[in-house]
Amino acid sequence: MKVLAAGVVPLLLVLHWKHGAGTPLPITPVNATCATRHPCHSNLMNQIRNQLAQLNGSANALFILYYTAQGEPFPNNLDKLCGPNVTDFPPFHANGTEKTRLVELYRIIAYLGASLGNITRDQKVLNPNALSLHSKLNATADILRGLLSNVLCRLCNKYHVAHVDVAYGPDTSGKDVFQKKKLGCQLLGKYKQVIAVVAQAF
Amino acid sequence: GQDPLFIFPKDKLVEEGSNVTICYVSKSHQNNISCYLEGVRMQGEQLDPNVSVFNLNHVAFIRETGTNIYCKPGQGDGIKGTVLFVSKVLQEPKDFSCETQDFMTLNCTWDPGSDTGLLKQLSQSYTLFESFSGKKTLCKPKSWCLWQVAPESQDMYNFTLTAENYLRKRSVHLLFNLTHRVHPMAPFNILFKNVSATSATMTWKVHSIGKYYTLLCQVELYGEGKVTQHNVSVKVDGAHLFSGLEPDTEYLAQVRCANGDYFWKWSEWTHQNFTTAEAAPSEAPDVWRNVKTVQGRCVVTLFWKPLSKPQAHGKILFYNIVIEYLDRTSVSEVLSIPAPASGTELPLNQCSSQIRITASNSVGTSPASVLVVSREPGNEEVEEERVKGTEDGFPLSWNPQPRHVTGYLVEWCEQPRDPPCDLQWKNLGPNVTSTVVSSDAFRPGVRYNFRIYGISTERVPYLLARKTGYSQELAPSDNPQVVMTNLTSHSFTLSWKNYSTESQTSFIQGYHVYLKSKAGRCHSGSEKAVLSDDVVCCKYKIDNPEQKTFVVENLQPESFYEFLVTPYTSVGEGPHDAFAKVTTPDEYSPTLIRILLPTVFCILLIMITCYLKSQWMKEKCYPDIPDPYKSSVLSLIKSKENPHLTIMNIKDCVPDSIEVLNKQEGTRKSLTETESTKPTYLYLLPTEKRYSSPGPCICFENFTYNQAASDSASCGHVPVPPKAPPSQLGLLTSPENLLKALEKNYMNSLGEIPAGETSLNYVSQLASPMSGDMSNLPTNPPEPALCSEYKMQMAIPLGLASPPSSGSSSLSSITLLDEGEHY
Repeated sequence: MKVLAAGVVPLLLVLHWKHGAGTPLPITPVNATCATRHPCHSNLMNQIRNQLAQLNGSANALFILYYTAQGEPFPNNLDKLCGPNVTDFPPFHANGTEKTRLVELYRIIAYLGASLGNITRDQKVLNPNALSLHSKLNATADILRGLLSNVLCRLCNKYHVAHVDVAYGPDTSGKDVFQKKKLGCQLLGKYKQVIAVVAQAF
Repeated sequence: GQDPLFIFPKDKLVEEGSNVTICYVSKSHQNNISCYLEGVRMQGEQLDPNVSVFNLNHVAFIRETGTNIYCKPGQGDGIKGTVLFVSKVLQEPKDFSCETQDFMTLNCTWDPGSDTGLLKQLSQSYTLFESFSGKKTLCKPKSWCLWQVAPESQDMYNFTLTAENYLRKRSVHLLFNLTHRVHPMAPFNILFKNVSATSATMTWKVHSIGKYYTLLCQVELYGEGKVTQHNVSVKVDGAHLFSGLEPDTEYLAQVRCANGDYFWKWSEWTHQNFTTAEAAPSEAPDVWRNVKTVQGRCVVTLFWKPLSKPQAHGKILFYNIVIEYLDRTSVSEVLSIPAPASGTELPLNQCSSQIRITASNSVGTSPASVLVVSREPGNEEVEEERVKGTEDGFPLSWNPQPRHVTGYLVEWCEQPRDPPCDLQWKNLGPNVTSTVVSSDAFRPGVRYNFRIYGISTERVPYLLARKTGYSQELAPSDNPQVVMTNLTSHSFTLSWKNYSTESQTSFIQGYHVYLKSKAGRCHSGSEKAVLSDDVVCCKYKIDNPEQKTFVVENLQPESFYEFLVTPYTSVGEGPHDAFAKVTTPDEYSPTLIRILLPTVFCILLIMITCYLKSQWMKEKCYPDIPDPYKSSVLSLIKSKENPHLTIMNIKDCVPDSIEVLNKQEGTRKSLTETESTKPTYLYLLPTEKRYSSPGPCICFENFTYNQAASDSASCGHVPVPPKAPPSQLGLLTSPENLLKALEKNYMNSLGEIPAGETSLNYVSQLASPMSGDMSNLPTNPPEPALCSEYKMQMAIPLGLASPPSSGSSSLSSITLLDEGEHY
């Protein structure tokens, strides 16, 4: 389910762009000139690779922390509750051109960033004492923000891409507690799977 | 929706112990849907093919984040679930109480019990309501709340405390008079005034609770292990006098107060330390002495024990010693020994003296301890008795003294093995005749010596008894160092004189001498004993611990023995680990040695004498040149055979000449190949008619020869011509050449002797045939015999000098000098 819901956008703006990663894409006009607020790093692709490797290295630990904190039946029914069957997750083609891969990476990061924000919010309520999980979620969101900024820089400077259409996952705020836990687990399972492929592709 | 399965209710909040019904609705007619609560399958009731219900009774609180309930169909992966939030039951607040410290604020406290906060429910809240005033306040803390007291107008308060959460509300009530709920604050500003050695005044202040109220304060004093308690009524400031205190002692004083009109609660304690002033020491120091004589002069070593804290009444600074000589001939001496010394050594001018010892601190001086030193050493000949130590110490007793004593004293050394021995003493009253000496320093296996003194009325100590013993006797750990002497074929002596019986770990009762032998027989005086390693040996027992020698007898010659000397005590023997080995000698060896040694000595003496006098012996018995005058043969011949024989006088000896046939070197001729050689004449001594002749000649003055003898002697000694050809000299001087010459002569002798080839060989009889180059002559056997032949040194007529028999082969071959060729 692709959602370009107007209610989600303000939340995403707060979560992803507060550190000056770039101009918010969804509201950028199609014909706007490509410009970044800060000069891009000279060794941008290396930074992107390192950030991807960092995310890939911590994804499994985050997944384990999450399903452990949810209690039964999650740890013993990972395939049924935490399987990576997120249907609206942005695709990624590892054999595409660098530009294509960067655009797809951008969509994935934007999707993940929004979903991770929802998960972090829910877990602070559902599991207020799971401090390790909270810490890991925040650290991952921080890296994602930096990565999004770098990818935008690369797209803008090298490929002059100023606008990428992005999609976000479902908003979990209205769902029941069990559903929140399950959606979060599925998302993190998918994230663990995708980030390995993406990190390998770069 | 599109989901095939629904579970209800969603996120339900219930109280612990409630009954809950869970149901699911499925789109398809599935019968194999199973539902679980925290992993445990629930048994439900199927209402129709699509709906089932599960009744949960008395649900329990599991965690604040809720209880997961989920259902999963038998096929597919669509797990659906819900979370049930089970809250703890809200409890009634316990121990609700209110009190004031200052009549301005009421502090109400309670025990809230368990927290009922959940994800779906906040923790319970508390509200305080006072019915008389109608005021209400929300208490943010969960266990206490402050209430502002209405000034002067309200004494009675009726509080209702209400606890409330999402599910329940609980209330408690409290009615009280404010003046009955006064909990004063802790006193402050404690001070001590007029602190002396035995008293001090403590003052303190209290927080006012109003001019109409009196406080009751409790004062406690801790010191010297004791506690004293006093109650004091206080309006504003409190004061209390502590008396009967110990000097120079630290005390802890503390005070607390409560409402004196209506007791509710004590305040907290406020405490402060103080120390009383010093006072003069109250007791004389406990002093003892040791008297010895060094170079005729009495030397007293004083020991004293430090005064205890209750006795010292302060820090002891000096120990003062006054020596007064009893005969008044010497001036008294005064010494001051700085603390913390515990003794001193004093050389006395005279032995008879009285010593007074006092201790001083910053305030004053203690009473004096008096010791009298007497020239008489006391009864030192007191017999020593043994005492057995127990776990409690050494029980000592002595006979009461007929003369009046002021007390008794027991002295001992706590470290008897390590000088200084840490002298200890114990003062006892005049009516005491027994005591138990105990000390943590006493060790098993250490011998302690005790001396018991009586102290006379003149303060003169005299020795009453000596005791010695062990707190616990231990078996000897070492055996004596044994020396073996006087080893014979039948006995040997063992000696261990260096073994001290005094410094052992128990009283030595005697010794056991163990003897191992192959024979295994034990003679009288010994008994068979089996050692720990099942070895049988003979055991000799020595009952006297001071007997430190033993003769082992009845041994077999040339036999191997092992022996061990070990002390035995009441608690056992020494170790059986180091047997010494000995082998008895042969029985006859000593006798043989007695004979052989003198014999060898005598032989050696004779040999040495002979060696030293060899020259004399040689001259006497076998001189190289016999002296005819000394020859006994001569006298024998003279007397029996020829009385006319006389010894040739040297003057009668006419020098003769020797003809030497000078032949060319290397001219060895065969017998058939004769070569005439021109003879060369060598004159040994110039004859009268040739004195003037200039021919080459060498003259040998040989007084032992006469002509005839020389003619008949055929020796290889060749006279060397003055100008002899080198070849001829070489032929004669080297042994090889000489050998050749001899060989040649020998060869010649085998055949016909040509007249012209004879040569003269002359050997002086002064030379031993076996000496010098002639030693090589044995290669030609017949020749040396001739050369070493000794000719009697007699003057005999020429006619008698006949040549030796020509039949003798070798001799004839050498005797080449023809009579006709002699000059």
